[in-house]
Amino acid sequence: MDPPVCEDGVVYPGRAPLRRLTRFEYNNTVRDLLGDTTDPAFSLPSEDVGNGFGNDADTLSVSSLLAEQLGTVAEGIAQRATATPEALAKLAPCASNVTAGSEEACARTIIERLAPRAYRRPVAAGEADELLALYSVGRKDATFAAGVATVIEALLQSPDFLYRIEKGTPDPERPQLRRPTGDEMATRLSYMLWGTMPDEQLRMAAQAGELSTKEGVRAHAERMLDDPRSRPTFRFFFDNLLPISSLADLERNADAFPTFSRTIGSLMREETQRFLEHEIFEGTGTWPSILTAPYTFVNEQLAAFYGIPGVTGDEFREVRLDTTQRLGLLTQGGLMAGTTHSNNTNPVVRGSFVLQKLMCISIPLPTGAILEQVKPPDPYSGKTARERFSQHSKDPVCAGCHKFMDPVGFAFENYDAVGLFRATENGVTIDPSGTVPETLGDVSGPIDLVQKLAGSEEVQSCFAKRWSEFAYGLTLRAEDRCTQQAITTAFEASGYNVKQLLIELTQTDAFHYLAPGQE
Amino acid sequence: MLRGAGAIAVALPWLEIMGPERTARAAPEPAKRFLAVYTPGGTVLNRWRPTGTETSFTLSPILAPLAPVQNRLLVVDGLDMKSALGEQHQAGIVAWLTGTAQEGANNGGYGSGPSIDQVIAARISAGQKAQASIQIAVRWATGKAHGLLSPMNAANYENAAPHKPIPPRLDPVEIFTKLFGTLNPSDNNDAARRLARQQSILDFLDRRYSAVSAALGAADKQKIDQHLTKIREIEQSLSSTDTPTTMSSCKAPTMVDTSDYNPRTGLNADDKGNVKDTSTDAAIPKVGKLMTDMLVMALACDITAVGTLQWSDTEAKHTFPWLNLTEHHHFYQHDGGFKPAECERICNWYSKQHLYLLQEMEKIDMGGHSLLDESVVFFGSELSDPPSHKKNDMPFLLAGGGGGLRTGRWVRYSHLPHNNLLVSILNLFGDTRTTFGDPRYCTGPLTNLT
Repeated sequence: MDPPVCEDGVVYPGRAPLRRLTRFEYNNTVRDLLGDTTDPAFSLPSEDVGNGFGNDADTLSVSSLLAEQLGTVAEGIAQRATATPEALAKLAPCASNVTAGSEEACARTIIERLAPRAYRRPVAAGEADELLALYSVGRKDATFAAGVATVIEALLQSPDFLYRIEKGTPDPERPQLRRPTGDEMATRLSYMLWGTMPDEQLRMAAQAGELSTKEGVRAHAERMLDDPRSRPTFRFFFDNLLPISSLADLERNADAFPTFSRTIGSLMREETQRFLEHEIFEGTGTWPSILTAPYTFVNEQLAAFYGIPGVTGDEFREVRLDTTQRLGLLTQGGLMAGTTHSNNTNPVVRGSFVLQKLMCISIPLPTGAILEQVKPPDPYSGKTARERFSQHSKDPVCAGCHKFMDPVGFAFENYDAVGLFRATENGVTIDPSGTVPETLGDVSGPIDLVQKLAGSEEVQSCFAKRWSEFAYGLTLRAEDRCTQQAITTAFEASGYNVKQLLIELTQTDAFHYLAPGQE
Repeated sequence: MLRGAGAIAVALPWLEIMGPERTARAAPEPAKRFLAVYTPGGTVLNRWRPTGTETSFTLSPILAPLAPVQNRLLVVDGLDMKSALGEQHQAGIVAWLTGTAQEGANNGGYGSGPSIDQVIAARISAGQKAQASIQIAVRWATGKAHGLLSPMNAANYENAAPHKPIPPRLDPVEIFTKLFGTLNPSDNNDAARRLARQQSILDFLDRRYSAVSAALGAADKQKIDQHLTKIREIEQSLSSTDTPTTMSSCKAPTMVDTSDYNPRTGLNADDKGNVKDTSTDAAIPKVGKLMTDMLVMALACDITAVGTLQWSDTEAKHTFPWLNLTEHHHFYQHDGGFKPAECERICNWYSKQHLYLLQEMEKIDMGGHSLLDESVVFFGSELSDPPSHKKNDMPFLLAGGGGGLRTGRWVRYSHLPHNNLLVSILNLFGDTRTTFGDPRYCTGPLTNLT
């Protein structure tokens, strides 16, 4: 499809393919629906890689294993939800003292309370009857609890729960276009901002018609972002965008890095997440300010590792950085350690992270034909990384791609394999100069690099793109161009404010209309 | 040892005099079981390739552990994975069983056809066994895949279009319960009640998915229909009267304590294998053995007829503490510069594990012949040479006697496409097609296998 020309005053509904709950969303949803805090979805087979967040609707597929495991997981949740009289009472007060005569009526009460929330829409009478029939099958030769469990098991596997099904309703002003219903809009908002089902307040807002205008949606988006329930969504996003999620398992040679441990790794991840949360919710909160913040968060143990004096206790607190050595998110220990293979730094990995994740420049992996011509350099030859990786610039076959990646990585060489600042490597003074592709050009070192990145339009629009793909659960294509353009423009207008970006994501035509043919 | 052309030349005419010709070559029965075993990142070719002649050969260091079953092996040498086009590792694992190129742009897509295991399963297993097939993996999705299903780690592809990748099972305890839980004769009433309940739920789901599907546009409908198909498959397997056989050879394998093994460790891994979870890695030999036992018994008990064992994903990011190796496999292959000695040690260990699998299959009496006799076991990788990511001269092995496979041989081809092997394997199961995968890279079945 040709990319559309985006004109003012024309509605570009964008794509909204059918989405299945991800494991992250499933866990949050059963927590809110049934109080199940066991994160049961982690035993489901993993999602497809797709857009990097596991929620790319275009690549999600259902294997036999997934269908089977969804049943197993639902069975476990249903059992926990009906295991004790107290658990049953939480489903409906009538369940705490059912008698033979009141059982069926109570089962109906439970269904009428649970099903509309599980389906995120009103349930028709016939649907409730069908669920009640399931209760009767489960109750046969078994207990009341077993009957209720059967219903829950079915609810959790039904398409109405697992998929975000949108039917829409004609737009009163432009009847040829369809818009999400109030309930569907509540669901869109809730999964985007909280990664879970709508709460009572959102459902009531939907009933009251508050979500039928962009202004109404904006007001709720603002409320939802101020709610602590939005925090896990930010954590999830950054855990998947940044190389920090596995720092707690990071291993380094103890002789070379005696002060590093897995605990330090996990504290680094916490440092990054704390910093981001503070900056977004209490600080300036723009992507450029995040990239160049002169402060970070550490506790005593992490401060000792970095050599920052005067921090005591387990609590994280804000400390100023020596801005000749570090500046902003990218120079944090976790990002530097998380972009290093082993005990030696690897400028390719660091450069590739910046280019691909932060600048949305995709670097093709070498194909078999190219690799057959060359052997990769031995990472243990040469005194400095620049020396070790010199083959990449000498060999024209490698240089085609590496000329983009390596010079970005070289600018981070002041941080070793555990993210500590260093001026020399093997007795040789490090030359941290580098080059960034596109318009940014040469940089003198890491501080210069992050400042240039923070001032780059490409970096801002890439960040907006990453959030769009995560928030809308897809990979942006040519046909999504108007949506992307609208978001980029709004992000720019906000001064690149991250919270504002999320609000703007609820203001696009793509968020307020259904694509034609989708009804 | 009976070897040498002389002895055979004398023996053959004498055998023919003994009675009507009834050799395996005349009309072999189709093979009845199929296993595919995957190890990551190729081999060290000059330490892998045997020496000698077709029937009289010496296994080289990497394959040496397999010497006790040498007469059950067919070393298939000289095949190129010509259909493996795309990203270095990904193209290899995509093509390994499908014979198709990686679709789409660089490091993006999957294959565009079914994998042979699924084609075989549709023929001999689906609807006939409790499970159409079993996919199992040990320490999988540890690197760039970030714990997600990806072209880096997907070996199995559905038989029906759009040929979606199939994730493997990872948790040994769950696999055990799934496969052998029903072998426990106790709790009969509970089991019957559970079955009745499950059937009603599936019935309900069938109606819900059908109703939802009917109201959706084409692309969304396809997703719901795919889910509905899977629900119907589960319904079918529940209503199938085929309970595991009570053959004397069928018994649940011995469950071992796997509490020191977290199958999901490293599933949240970063791109480059920073995660080196040695505590879990130490349990890999034990878990691998259990996985092998479960696969063998799943076949012996007729729970399924088709299985895949992936020892890892392509860029294996676990370590080998039991071999005194502290870095991950991909590090020795490529990330840390090619280290042939370490790679050889790892490949050698995988040969030992393969020996165990084949010997266990040989032990099982299926009524006058062994499980191995009626099976075809395909052992392979996505590359041949680790540092260059070459896919020529693939280190492939076949084993077993299914379909009249003539083993105890080292057959050498001159750069024939590996799709020819894939179609030959299908032929062993009675599938008569003459091409498989991308037809541009298939020139027909291999000769000299049966």
